[in-house]
Amino acid sequence: MSVPNPAQVRSADPGDPPPDDAVQAEPRGTTIESVDLRVAFASNEVLHGVSVAAATQSVTAVIGPSGCGKSTFLRALNRMHDEVRGARVTGKVLFDGMDIYDSSVDPVLVRTRIGMVFQRANPFPTMSVRDNVTAGLRLQGRRSKKEMNDEAERSLRRAGLWEEVKDRLEEPGGKLSGGQQQRLCIARALAVEPEVLLMDEPASALDPASTLRIEQLIEELKTTYTVIIVTHNMQQAARISDWTLFLLNGDLVEFGPTERIFTAPTDSRTEDYVTGRFG
Amino acid sequence: MNEVRGKFHQELRDLEGEVLRVGDEAADMVSRAVRALVKRDDELARGVIISDDVVDRMYLDIERRILDAFALQAPVASDLRLLSTMLHINLHLERIGDQAVNVSKMSLAARSLPSDETIMLHLTEMGDIVGAMLRTALEAFARRDLELCMRLPAMDDPVDELNRGMYRHVVRLSGDAAALEWGIRMNVVARQLERVGDNAVDIGEQVAYLLTGEFREFTDASHRDGSASSAEGDHGDERT
Repeated sequence: MSVPNPAQVRSADPGDPPPDDAVQAEPRGTTIESVDLRVAFASNEVLHGVSVAAATQSVTAVIGPSGCGKSTFLRALNRMHDEVRGARVTGKVLFDGMDIYDSSVDPVLVRTRIGMVFQRANPFPTMSVRDNVTAGLRLQGRRSKKEMNDEAERSLRRAGLWEEVKDRLEEPGGKLSGGQQQRLCIARALAVEPEVLLMDEPASALDPASTLRIEQLIEELKTTYTVIIVTHNMQQAARISDWTLFLLNGDLVEFGPTERIFTAPTDSRTEDYVTGRFG
Repeated sequence: MNEVRGKFHQELRDLEGEVLRVGDEAADMVSRAVRALVKRDDELARGVIISDDVVDRMYLDIERRILDAFALQAPVASDLRLLSTMLHINLHLERIGDQAVNVSKMSLAARSLPSDETIMLHLTEMGDIVGAMLRTALEAFARRDLELCMRLPAMDDPVDELNRGMYRHVVRLSGDAAALEWGIRMNVVARQLERVGDNAVDIGEQVAYLLTGEFREFTDASHRDGSASSAEGDHGDERT
């Protein structure tokens, strides 16, 4: 499938030359699908058999009230519950047809191909901007300094941050603004060349301008990656996602095109939630 | 869990009440306009014209509040559809008020001219039907009744037929200049009443959208059967 890259889209206006941060990447989006996915902590099951497939090169938003299982669902998609004592995951998560919970699968490899961006930017505060981006690469093995530098630049460009930090690459990541730190974390996630990006409220701690910058970035990233985002901000879900998934008390209530979910949802519980008749 | 947008939803209920009030006022204007025409009651006709100021004020206030809600409340799902529906219904009702005013202006302009009983009977019938259509449309909105909405196109058919036939009746008056002038003015009245019926059907379409989430016109005005009749006095302005 031919997918226009953001640089082409953004340079469509002859008066608007392509920015230096234009993303140049081959489409890498891959289907990810949960099948009867259940997550329990000790005896408490919080996700009750969710089956849903995220479309390739699109943004899927996960919405629902606090405690409905949004983050639990997202974390189950790259085996983050493996590290949680007492957590039990059953069902399947199919990544390009392969069950990531199969005993033969290396969870570290899963997390490089299915990247995660968290609510709060979590750069290594004293590590340089450049080293923050390549931290994941270094864990993967030896590469030359030039390769590392090239990958740092490429990832920072994809994250729309290069122009802002190209003269500050040796400064500590913790000195960047909150919005820049979050894009730095996105660059770090992109550096290991994932195919799916999971985002857990990536803009909830940011000011409105930084939030819009992240939203614009997500629009650009979806031409290359499959993006699944948890958000409490329903207007954000409406703005940036192609598909919306509504969870309530650990159950999948409705999954469909975002336009339909926000104009004429089919389930009355979705209707009540998005219109604020409960929350 | 509790309602978390209570104030906004109360505003939606208040707005709906206001829209229905405009609807009552517009329906009353149409009824009075036809009665003033039939009874040659100039005071009643002038009263209709004055009433339009009330409808216009209510219309503007409702529109402002709906736009505020769009700007400030980011409505979605049924709230979005309700606001969109009320924005359209409000406009249709304002136009119906204008059409009642036009009927009354024709009444006043023709009050010293000789009339024709057949034409008057047809206009009375048109007024009765479009009044019933308007009440049906408003009731469909208030009760969220799709079945009532779907009745409106059939109710509109005799109105269109009477409007199309009006031309022939007026032509018969051509031997008398004064009667012909009256007839021409009554042809305008028929056209206004036919438009009231169209607006009622449009309101029904909006209510159907509110209820189903899908907008579709009940009838395709551009490709109706019997289109030859449009050359025979319809003046070509079916519903759009």
